[in-house]
Amino acid sequence: MMITMTLKLTINGQERELAVPPQTPLLNVLRNDLALNGPKYGCGLGECGACSVLIDGMAARTCVLPVSAAEGHEVTTLDGLSQGGRLDPVQQAFIDAQAAQCGYCLNGMIITIRALLNHNAQPSAQQIRAALEHNLCRCGTHVEILQAAERAVVINAAALQEAPHE
Amino acid sequence: MSEGAVRHDQQEKASLPALLAQARYGVVVRPPYYRWNGECFESDRLVGVDSNSIASLAGSIDVVVEGNFVGVVADSLALATDAAKQLKVEWQAAHQAPETALGSHQEASTKPSAKSLDNPRQSYTHSNHAYGWPSRMRWGNHPSWVIADCRDQQLSVWGQTVTPKALKQDLSQLTALDISQIELYSADGKHASNQASGLGRHCGDDAAVDAALMSRAVGGPVAVWLDARYANDVQALGQAQRITLNADIASSGEIARYHYQQANLTGEVAAVGLWLSGRAAIATPSAEALAGEQDTTPFSPYVFRDQYLAARSQSASLSSNATLVGIQQAFARESFLDEVARESDQDPIALRLRHLDDARGIELIESVAKRSEWQRVSIPSANSLPQDLLRGRGFAYSQLPDRNQRVESGVRSAWIADVEVNRVTGDVQLTRLVVGQDAGPDVDTDRLQQTLQARVLGEARPLLGQAPGFDEWGDGSRTLTKSEYSAGLPTTPSSSSPVEEGVNQTVGEDVLTGAELSPGVAVIANALFDATGLRFRQPPFTAKRVRQALEASSTEEAGRPSKLKPPRSTKRRWLAAAAFTTIAGTAAMAWPWKGAIAPVSRPAANLYSAETIERGRLVAAAGDCAACHTTEGGVTNAGGRGFETPFGTLYSTNITPDEATGIGQWSYAAFERAMRHGISRDGSHLYPAFPYTAFAKTSDADLQALYAYLMAQPPVSTEKTANALTFPFNVRSLMAGWNTLYHDATPFQPDPMQSELYNRGAYLAEGLGHCSACHSPRNAMGAEKNGEAYFAGAFVDGWEAPPLNSLSRAPIPWSETSLYDYLRHGESELHGVASGPMAPVVAGLAELPEYDVRAIAHYVAAQMQAPTGNSDAAVADATQRVTSAAVGSTEMEAGERLFEGACAACHVDSGVPTFSRAGTNLALNTNLHSDHPDNVIQSILGGVHAEHIPGIGSMPGFADSFSNTQVADLTTYLRARFAPEKAPWQKVKQRIADIRQPHHNNTHSSP
Repeated sequence: MMITMTLKLTINGQERELAVPPQTPLLNVLRNDLALNGPKYGCGLGECGACSVLIDGMAARTCVLPVSAAEGHEVTTLDGLSQGGRLDPVQQAFIDAQAAQCGYCLNGMIITIRALLNHNAQPSAQQIRAALEHNLCRCGTHVEILQAAERAVVINAAALQEAPHE
Repeated sequence: MSEGAVRHDQQEKASLPALLAQARYGVVVRPPYYRWNGECFESDRLVGVDSNSIASLAGSIDVVVEGNFVGVVADSLALATDAAKQLKVEWQAAHQAPETALGSHQEASTKPSAKSLDNPRQSYTHSNHAYGWPSRMRWGNHPSWVIADCRDQQLSVWGQTVTPKALKQDLSQLTALDISQIELYSADGKHASNQASGLGRHCGDDAAVDAALMSRAVGGPVAVWLDARYANDVQALGQAQRITLNADIASSGEIARYHYQQANLTGEVAAVGLWLSGRAAIATPSAEALAGEQDTTPFSPYVFRDQYLAARSQSASLSSNATLVGIQQAFARESFLDEVARESDQDPIALRLRHLDDARGIELIESVAKRSEWQRVSIPSANSLPQDLLRGRGFAYSQLPDRNQRVESGVRSAWIADVEVNRVTGDVQLTRLVVGQDAGPDVDTDRLQQTLQARVLGEARPLLGQAPGFDEWGDGSRTLTKSEYSAGLPTTPSSSSPVEEGVNQTVGEDVLTGAELSPGVAVIANALFDATGLRFRQPPFTAKRVRQALEASSTEEAGRPSKLKPPRSTKRRWLAAAAFTTIAGTAAMAWPWKGAIAPVSRPAANLYSAETIERGRLVAAAGDCAACHTTEGGVTNAGGRGFETPFGTLYSTNITPDEATGIGQWSYAAFERAMRHGISRDGSHLYPAFPYTAFAKTSDADLQALYAYLMAQPPVSTEKTANALTFPFNVRSLMAGWNTLYHDATPFQPDPMQSELYNRGAYLAEGLGHCSACHSPRNAMGAEKNGEAYFAGAFVDGWEAPPLNSLSRAPIPWSETSLYDYLRHGESELHGVASGPMAPVVAGLAELPEYDVRAIAHYVAAQMQAPTGNSDAAVADATQRVTSAAVGSTEMEAGERLFEGACAACHVDSGVPTFSRAGTNLALNTNLHSDHPDNVIQSILGGVHAEHIPGIGSMPGFADSFSNTQVADLTTYLRARFAPEKAPWQKVKQRIADIRQPHHNNTHSSP
């Protein structure tokens, strides 16, 4: 049933009202209606992770998530990750480590590490590998990505010490 | 027993529900074989009862044994039922030759008359037939309590009987109490009438005797649940009455000799309990009783040249029921005359008129024949009648002498009935009834028609609504007017039951009043013959009996080219009958049983109160009308949505109050008939894709409110979409037969042994919620199976609707709490999410108040014998399953690779908090533990879409990215890893291929 409903979403700190069919994938709404192109369309089946965003600080694969499921939650896309013109420590780590080849998977990698660090600020190398196990990269940049992730742990810890309540 | 005196004073006021609180519960154990053979009662002999066999049952249980009677009395019905099941009873088989004994007895009784036929003059033809009457009509209208209290030289019985005299006599023999010490009450505590009514004894009497016997033994009130189990007594008691008639018919068509012989004038057989106890022995024909036998001459309105009429009566036997005797005699006589007329090619009415020497009678018959257009039998629409429907018309007449045995002043009564018989199902509809009567009260033929329909043709369809608490709406706060409901247990009959009218009426049973009704049974038998060519010589004419007879006759005629052709000549050669002239007496006409209901203007919007409309909105939500009556993206309730069934495609109708295309012209009566009987306003049958089979259980008040709500909505005009059904399913009238076979229009009956919450849940789940429509298996005719198959799980639209009873295969047993979570939130952490066709159901339930969803969960939990909450053990078991599945190794590489690539991102915990992760671990998923892989395959191919349920995510389908082999590998892998204790599914690939078909086969063969 393609019935359009007015939905209230909080995206990157802003309240948005949208008239869309409630079962539209959140990814389509973010990219097409709100022009937030950080999340990418990859497999469309929730397998690769390129479409990930943060919802209430947790990773979410938006190509398989109906927009209605995000109602009442805080959605943060890659576009909204930086704070006051300053990149998120995870973003900074990926730039520092030059972890991109084509870069298509990086949104998912960054969001996943961000979600992991929200939950576990000092993950082991093993835990990082497990966390990224279901994020696919086709160029073979896995080593750089893991290095970036380990660097992110360090920068993130430093940032937390600077502003522990942020 | 100091309170004894008080108790007796109060008995006249105490109603049955109040008594139930004090009573214990009795269940009888009948012998494997017991039978009334026409002359005496015989049964297996009781050798012994092993009370050790029930020693393991907790609670106080008394075993009552008297003669061959065995009963169990306990503090609850459930316990008594269990005990009766477990009790070991040893019987010694009776030396039975019952069939032959019965046959030879009947042969013997007819032989003398047969001999007299051996030397007739050549110009006569002969007719010789015997007619029977069953000992018991049925087991009752619907299940009910019968309570007996036998203490202090006093016996009181609460229940329903139509033959109070016979019952009192049985009870008196049983207890050796005087008739004056026995009191009969109806369920509401009023004194039962002493007048017999109806068409003979029913099993309420057997239940009453059972209850009295057990009550006397345990010294306190005992309640017996009168239900379909007593149908066995109907079977066992067989025939009570046999009347043999023969005649010589002259070539002119005149009956020259007429011989009527009746074996047992009283025709009533004592209750089974009385026979078994051995106390009925004094009533069996002893030498003394035989000496008291005498022949009397029954009355006949006709005059024959040479006539002999005899009826034997046994003075020492049971009470006589004059009304019943009149009906039995008229049935035999009028059936016989009809047979003679058909055999000699005469008009049945003309034949009677030539033997009637009574001006008033002749005048009445002629006027009724004229009024009913007896001659124009070929009803215009008969040609357009579907091939499987047969129509027929019958006539019967009777006259009874008045109280002072004066014939001239007695009531004359002439009946003409039209019936419609479905050849396939045996369903008989009494479509029209004309009754003329020249004295006595005006005849209410409508009521007669309904009563006869129920009593003679088959199952009753009690229409009286009750006023219990199970159909109250609201969150337990009960905002609805309390005055609508009477207090007390749900079995309380509504206080608005008809006021008693004089002494002739008994309470609690349909009473045939207002007419001299003795021709009522014969007229149907005669019409049935006209329709089918088959003669039924014993009532009742239930669909089952009619169907069997039709099948038997079509087997005999197997050589005929067309089986669908009626087995008789439709031409009536006797139609050239005399013209009829005057009108005398009263003649009333009833309209077709299932005709159109006159259209009405749409009710004004302010006709119903806002409260009623709000209640109706909740009823509509519980029934989820809009789910089917709305197309995708269409206007709510405007219809047009298509449904693919194994029989073709059906489209839902417009149920907005538009006068032209919706239900705006429907009166409440038409609406109610559609909801309860599946018949549209115009009289056509609806298909049971519209679940009227469940909606019939809805209470009257709820149906009224639903009507009010629907009528208060804005009308929407739509185009109708024609159904696309395959033959023969496109013949709507076939549904009449289907309904007889499979539809029980009885409104919901609360179980008095259960709580209010349970009954509320049962009412919603069985009725409006129509759970069983999906969760009960259906037979080949598309009807839900009952009994143990109820809620046993089924396949709908390629999905398995899992069992909701003890067959549930959930790895962690369901609890009431889990069921509530699932139904309210669409997800239970220990079982999984609502998906497939269940997702919109949960979405619809969101409209319902908390209390109602709890009630449904409570009821379903009871069907599953599930605990209230999730025990610590269950939670621990769940944790253990999740842990072991996390490291589970299956050595299925292909499946594992597919799982890791496609599924693991959401279905495996990677240590990253994930919003879009599946809420329930696959190790707990009910579908993976089912006996069938269907729901797993469906979920992989089509995904899980629960978008109407807030907060539930969705899973994409992989139909376009996986081959059948890949789906099979994955399915097999999932089963092995997450349900390791279960056997692997068989033929998975075949099932996948089937489900992939766009219109795959809905039927399912077990692996």
